[in-house]
Amino acid sequence: MLDFGKKITELISKALGRSTIDRETVESIIKGLQRILLQSDVDVKLVYELSNKIRDRCFKEKVQEGLTLREHVTKVIYEELVNLLGKEKAGLKAKNRIMLLGLYGVGKTTTCGKLVKYFQKHGSKPALIACDYHRPAATEQLRQIAEKLNVPVHIDENKNPFNAVENGLKRFAKNDVIIIDTAGRDALDKELSDELKKIGKIAKPDEVLLVIPADLGRTAGQQAAEFNKLVGITGVIVTKMDGTAKGGAALSSCYATGANVKFIGVGEKLEQLEEYDPVRFVSRILGMGDLEALMEKVKEAELDEDDAKRIMSGKFTLKDFYDQIEGIQKMGPLSGIVEMIPGFSSALPEDLVNIQEAKLKKFKYIIDSMTEKERNEPEIVNSSRIKRIAKGAGVSERDVRELLKQYDLTKKVIKKVGGTASIKRGQLAKLAKKFGLKF
Amino acid sequence: MFDFLKKKLNEVVKKVTDKVAPKEKEKKAKPKKEKETFTSKIVKAFTEINVSSEKVDEIFQEIEIDLLEADVAVEAIDKIKEDLKKEIVGKSIKKSELEKQIRNVFKKTLNEMLDVPKIDLMKKLEKRPTLFVFLGFNGSGKTTTMAKIAYWLQSKKLSCVFAAGDSFRAASIEQLEEHGKKLNVNVIKHQYGADPAAVIFDAVKYAQAKKIDVVLADTAGRTHTNKNLMDQLEKIVRVNKPDLKILVIDSMTGNDIINQCRMFDQAVGVDALVLTKTDVSNKGGSILSAAYVLKKPILFLGTGQSYKDLHEYDPREIAEKLI
Repeated sequence: MLDFGKKITELISKALGRSTIDRETVESIIKGLQRILLQSDVDVKLVYELSNKIRDRCFKEKVQEGLTLREHVTKVIYEELVNLLGKEKAGLKAKNRIMLLGLYGVGKTTTCGKLVKYFQKHGSKPALIACDYHRPAATEQLRQIAEKLNVPVHIDENKNPFNAVENGLKRFAKNDVIIIDTAGRDALDKELSDELKKIGKIAKPDEVLLVIPADLGRTAGQQAAEFNKLVGITGVIVTKMDGTAKGGAALSSCYATGANVKFIGVGEKLEQLEEYDPVRFVSRILGMGDLEALMEKVKEAELDEDDAKRIMSGKFTLKDFYDQIEGIQKMGPLSGIVEMIPGFSSALPEDLVNIQEAKLKKFKYIIDSMTEKERNEPEIVNSSRIKRIAKGAGVSERDVRELLKQYDLTKKVIKKVGGTASIKRGQLAKLAKKFGLKF
Repeated sequence: MFDFLKKKLNEVVKKVTDKVAPKEKEKKAKPKKEKETFTSKIVKAFTEINVSSEKVDEIFQEIEIDLLEADVAVEAIDKIKEDLKKEIVGKSIKKSELEKQIRNVFKKTLNEMLDVPKIDLMKKLEKRPTLFVFLGFNGSGKTTTMAKIAYWLQSKKLSCVFAAGDSFRAASIEQLEEHGKKLNVNVIKHQYGADPAAVIFDAVKYAQAKKIDVVLADTAGRTHTNKNLMDQLEKIVRVNKPDLKILVIDSMTGNDIINQCRMFDQAVGVDALVLTKTDVSNKGGSILSAAYVLKKPILFLGTGQSYKDLHEYDPREIAEKLI
């Protein structure tokens, strides 16, 4: 099997280092994405719709400050997928009535047990109602699960699902969560449709969760739409995510119903139910492991935009310089950062790029020894101040002068670049950001 | 069930034909008489084409999606592509024949893909007792398939016994017992959590003692990535030496079907397949994928929810339906 996740990462990498995203690059990325999604069993129409949206946004939207183009494209892709699957980490509040739906063998009954366990952990007192009188021994399965978890289960002796719901609801009036297991079929036939509709009417559930297996093929969307028509779906649970399947069917299901993913089943044990986590889920579909780090960075970049803007407007103080030094110490040499930015590597003076590690340390001590005013307005630092600062920092006066010189140089470069029309604001902000945070 | 795949395959044939020889160029240089070499050359240029390998790649970038849409796995698509290349690249083909030619290539490829080795089931069943073990992913329909096969065996005047080898999932034993009651088949069981290898061993002993023809052994559904469970399966096989290890696959499965087939095969060696829920899956591509990738005998297709809904696999019948 080809590793398509790798392929798309490669494709996106191609966009790296380009100042504008050209159509060709985006098209090739989108082609790659389409293949990945199709491989993950996402509905074809949806794949095209998604790629159109992504294409649009890649061209129209400004690259977020602090992100490379590659990261920008990845972010757009991520956001579009998450728009369908759900943006937030999900889970469920203790709601009164939860009804589970799904075809044969998707894992409804097991998931009922897992949900009970989930609510127990959150301090609720769940109860179960068995409405599957179709599959042999389904009620027995639910009974055994309930026994294991020590929760009550209502089973109708006459195998009537409607009476089961009615009486079950009465019996569990004091339980804060009631979970209703329903019957499946190979396909959603008339008999099951009528039954589910009627159960829905009696139960008036707060949540109707559709259970789909991660390895489900392209029938997913159609299935989900049919179930949704019967009893409005409020959420999706994706089971069997512990296999090799990527769970793309979830995208189709969410799209067809407008509902989001709430949980994923990751094993056969009752505690193996996880709350849906957008980043992890999308990483899995795309086969990209580094998505989590990227999204963190997007967040960071948002926080730091103010800083970047201030620096861009020319208010570059010794404090900012200090932050940069710290950043550089954490991340590595300046030259690597500079190379990232088109048109910038030639603009920075050689000696600024090659500032030595030991020197950076010294610079920090010097800035530490300054007063707040000196840091904000370095112009006021005269020779007597230099003497004082040198003493305080335990360095020579020459070192202090060198720091001031480096600061001046950097400031000039930033001004110069900022004034060049050909270089976008975003890139300057990126530079400022990179000084401080990345590398 | 194959309507969708069939539609897609037909679209693919059309697309390939159109791409290879675009319609607007087909201004027919009327083939007068093939006297002059010059004229006949032109005629040839207009009516015959030479397809390059790159052209096929280019065309396939688009039609790949048509096939993926029908749940045909990528590996299977590659095979179709390679076959097409082999047959049409570098050969001069008359335009009027192109579609027919492509159609023939497809037919041949599909036949090859669907053509899996056969097992003479009746011959297998001559041994007393015969042991069939059913394996598969969770929820693929193992227990139901076993019940259907019991029904089929009974129609062949063979007696059978169930071994409740799924001692893990809640109520799996009860589920099997209900089928047993309906079909009048005994169930050999232990407690939940018991060693499935031992349960199956007992069932075989029981069959020997009671002169029962076939032992049908259920196993717990498992994820092919779960090492411990795959080891357990390996033990079942080692202890009981089944005559057939039958992998039960849900035909609604998407691209992951290949991983599932492969990993079960690697773990214990699969002898034959049963594809379930084929009445629901209108995409049909999964059968193509499974047949091609595993190249294992396909015994039956599950086609419904009652015991009689079990059809013997016939590759020719499917290929005919497709093209």
